[in-house]
Amino acid sequence: MNRRIAVWTAFILLLGSLSLVTTAQESEDAASPLLFEQPVLVTSIGQSAGAAQARVVAIRAGIEATYSQRATLEELEGIKTLIIVLGASSKGLGAAGVDIDGEIAWANELLAKVNELGILVIAMHIEGGARRGPSSDLINSTFAPLAATIIVKGSQPDVEWTADESADGNADGLFTTIATENDIPILYIDTTLGAVDVLIELFGMTPAEG
Amino acid sequence: MTHRTQPTLLRVGAGMLLTVAAFFFVMASAATSHDIRPGIGVSEIRWLSDYLPALEGTPGDTEIYVLRGEKPGGAFLLLGGTHANEIAGVMAATLFVERGTVTQGTVYVIPHANNSAASYNSGVYNAGTPDWIELTTRAGEVRQFRYGDRRTNPSDQEADPEVFIHEQSGLEFDGGEARNLNRNYPGKADGTLTQQMCYALFELAEREKINVLIDMHESSITGRLANTLVSHPRAVDIAAFSILDLEIEGLALKQEVSSGEFFGLSHKEFGDRTHVLPFLIESANPGQEKSISNPDVVNDPRSPLSDRVYLQLRTIQAILTNHALLEGSSTAIAFEFPFGLGELLGADLGAFLR
Repeated sequence: MNRRIAVWTAFILLLGSLSLVTTAQESEDAASPLLFEQPVLVTSIGQSAGAAQARVVAIRAGIEATYSQRATLEELEGIKTLIIVLGASSKGLGAAGVDIDGEIAWANELLAKVNELGILVIAMHIEGGARRGPSSDLINSTFAPLAATIIVKGSQPDVEWTADESADGNADGLFTTIATENDIPILYIDTTLGAVDVLIELFGMTPAEG
Repeated sequence: MTHRTQPTLLRVGAGMLLTVAAFFFVMASAATSHDIRPGIGVSEIRWLSDYLPALEGTPGDTEIYVLRGEKPGGAFLLLGGTHANEIAGVMAATLFVERGTVTQGTVYVIPHANNSAASYNSGVYNAGTPDWIELTTRAGEVRQFRYGDRRTNPSDQEADPEVFIHEQSGLEFDGGEARNLNRNYPGKADGTLTQQMCYALFELAEREKINVLIDMHESSITGRLANTLVSHPRAVDIAAFSILDLEIEGLALKQEVSSGEFFGLSHKEFGDRTHVLPFLIESANPGQEKSISNPDVVNDPRSPLSDRVYLQLRTIQAILTNHALLEGSSTAIAFEFPFGLGELLGADLGAFLR
């Protein structure tokens, strides 16, 4: 009888230990890649129309995302993840009535509040070469390093870019360098819609059927 | 005999000269006519002067083709030839009139929005561009279409001011822009010819309760605006959805929104002043590339006309589809062609015309 109890006890302990090992492995798996949480706010830094596209991408990924082309500090209330879409548009800045310096000052204020509230940031660059250039790169280089993850539509190192040359936002490796120097995970996409699958993964969403 | 004959000959000669002069006067003051052959989809033809009688008989008057669908829906205004040298828009509108049918809503197509600009070609971007392009139909007929100019013909309007001031905003432009249709909105009923055309287009939009306006343009092939969809901020969602839909098909368009500071443009002024959702499409025209000598504006393999017309029409289709999804079916507009638009790619455009 004692032997039977001892065998069952050993068996239960064995199951328990196996269970603990499995749980630990799942935790490790879950920790990488980082899972982002909803609700999400999508905004632009540089006032390009890419933020509107990012919102469409988020909707298609099934994410609860609010879109504000130039977010206010109040709109950060209750937000768990901020998606900043990087790239300067002279038309967009004109529409907002600001210049590049004013835009950077506003974005610094926004990101300081984001940091204070513990909101995670995803930086997206999804408009290709059209959003590279002196003004855009000032924004790219200032704010991409503040992100927890970077998503860039562009070529990755040692992989041939087969899409339209003008669609490559990372032809010179700018975002790769920023990611490497700041130890930020970077995810490369070939098309803007490629960001749908990336967001599904980052937010742990269930892909839509069909 | 001699004395009696000479005055008669002089009278006959003078009469002939007067006739010729009168012909040229009428031709110069009347609207330029074009070889457009309305298809079964066209319900009615109107004139821009129906919306501003002062334009009647002037070079700024132009035909408006109305295509009505069986199913009620919204109203859509399609502009080609705002800049008459940007011919993909002209030809996309012409193809729409000749082969398109509307299944829902009403479509107003104006292939030559600035008809005065279609009467000449100053070669402003490229002196090597032609005055006419020729396209061969499937039946072997060679049809000619005007390759016009960016601006109203200077002979149709008072001399350019040194500085053109957009009246409603006070924004200053180069004097020649007084003849640019896309710098003069919302126009003025008793203004210059260009301002009157703009005013009439605004009247049309108001009276026909236009829901969507698309102004088809072209840029140089290496220019910043090549292959771009511009929208008013109120229409930015429809534009974003459309661009991502087109991306799936391999059609890469950049997205821009109307600037807050740049007035007089269709997407800005219709969006600010009316309930219309305005868009502007830019395809890439080799004829606007200064570095190409004697550009082939029809067959240049880098950006053939048929591909540019495809880009215009497919983008329009995507915009209207997403407009219906986002704004509701009661104002939906839908059209179709008796061929798949994809067939235009790499094809001879003339084969699709009547």
